[in-house]
Amino acid sequence: MDDLRDPTERAYIQNYSIYFCVRPQKLYSLAQESGRTAAKYFINTYPKYFQKDFANPHIPCLMPETLELQVNEVSEAALIERIQLRKVKAAVDMYDQLLQAGTPVSLDLTNDLLDLISLYGDCDPARGDAPEQRTEEMVSLTLTSNNNAERIFNMMPERNRRSYGALIRGMVKHGAYSKAFNTYTDLLNNRLTGDVHIFNALISAAPEVREKYVEKWDLIVDLLKQMAEQKVKPTLLTFNAVLKALRRCGSLGRTQAFPVINEMKALGIATSAQGHTEILQDVLSEISGKSFTAQDPDDGIIKTQIHTFLLFTDSLCDIEQAYRVHSLLGVGENWKLLGDSYYQSIYYGRFFNLLCMMEHIDVVLKWYKELIPSLYYPNSQGMRDLLQALDTDNRLDLIPQIWKDIKRMGHDNKTELVEEMLSLMARENQIPEVQQSFADCALDVKALYTQTDRRVPLSWSAGSLSSITSILLAAERTQQAWEMLKLFKLANRVPESLMNQFLESVKASNNAQQAVELVQISASFCLSITPNLMERVQQEFDLTEEQRNTLSDLESSTAMSD
Amino acid sequence: LIFVSFQTVCRQLNSTLWLNVGGRSIHSSAVCCKNRAARIRVGKGDRPVTYEQALHPHQIAHRKGWLSQHTSNLQGEDGAADRTVEDLFIRRLIYGTFHGCLADELVIKRRGNLLVICALMLQKLPPHKYYFLVGYTEELLSHFYKCPVKMEIQMLEEKSVYKYL
Repeated sequence: MDDLRDPTERAYIQNYSIYFCVRPQKLYSLAQESGRTAAKYFINTYPKYFQKDFANPHIPCLMPETLELQVNEVSEAALIERIQLRKVKAAVDMYDQLLQAGTPVSLDLTNDLLDLISLYGDCDPARGDAPEQRTEEMVSLTLTSNNNAERIFNMMPERNRRSYGALIRGMVKHGAYSKAFNTYTDLLNNRLTGDVHIFNALISAAPEVREKYVEKWDLIVDLLKQMAEQKVKPTLLTFNAVLKALRRCGSLGRTQAFPVINEMKALGIATSAQGHTEILQDVLSEISGKSFTAQDPDDGIIKTQIHTFLLFTDSLCDIEQAYRVHSLLGVGENWKLLGDSYYQSIYYGRFFNLLCMMEHIDVVLKWYKELIPSLYYPNSQGMRDLLQALDTDNRLDLIPQIWKDIKRMGHDNKTELVEEMLSLMARENQIPEVQQSFADCALDVKALYTQTDRRVPLSWSAGSLSSITSILLAAERTQQAWEMLKLFKLANRVPESLMNQFLESVKASNNAQQAVELVQISASFCLSITPNLMERVQQEFDLTEEQRNTLSDLESSTAMSD
Repeated sequence: LIFVSFQTVCRQLNSTLWLNVGGRSIHSSAVCCKNRAARIRVGKGDRPVTYEQALHPHQIAHRKGWLSQHTSNLQGEDGAADRTVEDLFIRRLIYGTFHGCLADELVIKRRGNLLVICALMLQKLPPHKYYFLVGYTEELLSHFYKCPVKMEIQMLEEKSVYKYL
């Protein structure tokens, strides 16, 4: 039932949770999953309440799972049950008891037991619905883990290819690589041939048992030759194993990868995306239009493949390729290759970054509306890219709308982002309506800075203060601009470049008193521009006696301090 | 109106968690006459009452809708009693699981096999706890009733008061 859940399921509780940031969303989906596992725990621990079957036809996945052993006497049926329930220790005990009692155990059953032990490495797998257990101690069990498997193997009166296979694969899985190769030689000595699973396991183990790249590659080639001799057909997993092993072979691996891919194509094997590690354009043209299925269990690593694609296209700044990769995701089941929300955010982050760099602003905005916020929540870097794109194409008038989005996404506590936005707004004078909207936006930002109930209050910097003030002045909101000057004092910052702007606006309103106040403020900040200002005020304004006196006092005091 | 459950329903009840009476018997609840059921009497005027509570049962299909929507009351359909008992169980389960968080009565809808539980909740718990409880209830009820169960919840700041009685 899990696989058929809606893949686009997202957090749905409206009007309450701030679901715009990535982390709460992940938290919520994890919370929901843990609720489900809690329920499953109850269902499996008290199955008697859930036995009543209302459903017609029967729905097996809604019945409680039987996790307890039913058959308890020493018999083959008991062994079969334990193997099915994946109880490794109990199965081994039952096998030993059977042998002691003298009942012969069939070869198939012994092979099943060997498979079980090799798969789980001699310890019981953690119960699916029990809380997560640390698996670090499992790693250290590598070398000792196969004792049971080896012991049973040695005790077997006859062994067939499957028994050897189970042992070899178990050894490779748990890290006993050289032992695996020894067992393989044993197999050959007993005049048995290997099957495709054995060869896959050996190929993936090959890089571990040799030192140099050349030797590794030689070993792999040797194995492949033996495969051909023993008439074992390679499958997709074989090629994936080869390519994975090539990854460990460094530069030699890269050159060998191409012929391997060609072999794959020649054999007509449906490609899994895992195979295309280092190849770019020809691959894209090959795979466009085809749907991948996640056949290789390691396709989990494929998410990085999608990103390596994008990385390469990034570095080549190739927007066409990026579009093709993106369209690939729409084919069949490829969306699964994107991985969990973390990888998705990386992918969309890079995609959006590339778009902002390369495309015209209209296209960028179209993608912005599409991707955000349904698929991707940009981090502050993404927003800065967007601001850059707006700047390049001269659409700064859209900044107030972007600011609303920034607030909703919770990036309004990122000082660099906010300051960059303010400086973009303050840089040039705009047409009046745009200027007014900028002024509203600037006041909003100011309110944000002065909020006292924030956890981490934003600190004013000279840049942000001056940006806001110049925006307000340009929009002719002089009263608020003057209030900003007071803020300068409070925040211990110096309004260097603004004085001239202030003087212009004061001249426009022809307020001599304000002009004198301006000079006083400038003097209090000990700005170098003060004498200049004073001169201009004295010349350009009609001052009363009192004001002239104040000014001359100031002049003398500044002259004295010089 | 005496609520009486019959033998088949008894057997169902026997398998629920909170009633383990063995054997068959008549089970009845306390008497509640029809002129007192689901009616809140007018009082001093300080008791806030929601729309659902304020309107009396004779207003159903006039000014009120139904809280439980299924097709077993149509002609020729059976299972009405089973659905009613299931509804009661679900209401009690959710009342206990989301204790103190429900703003109003549940609305239970059945579409084919699917059981949809629509709930209005208050913002008493942090959101991740709500998601946990929702996942838990959905899974538990799906396994209990052997049909897919979905919860759709909407959050309110506080209970919406219609009038004061």
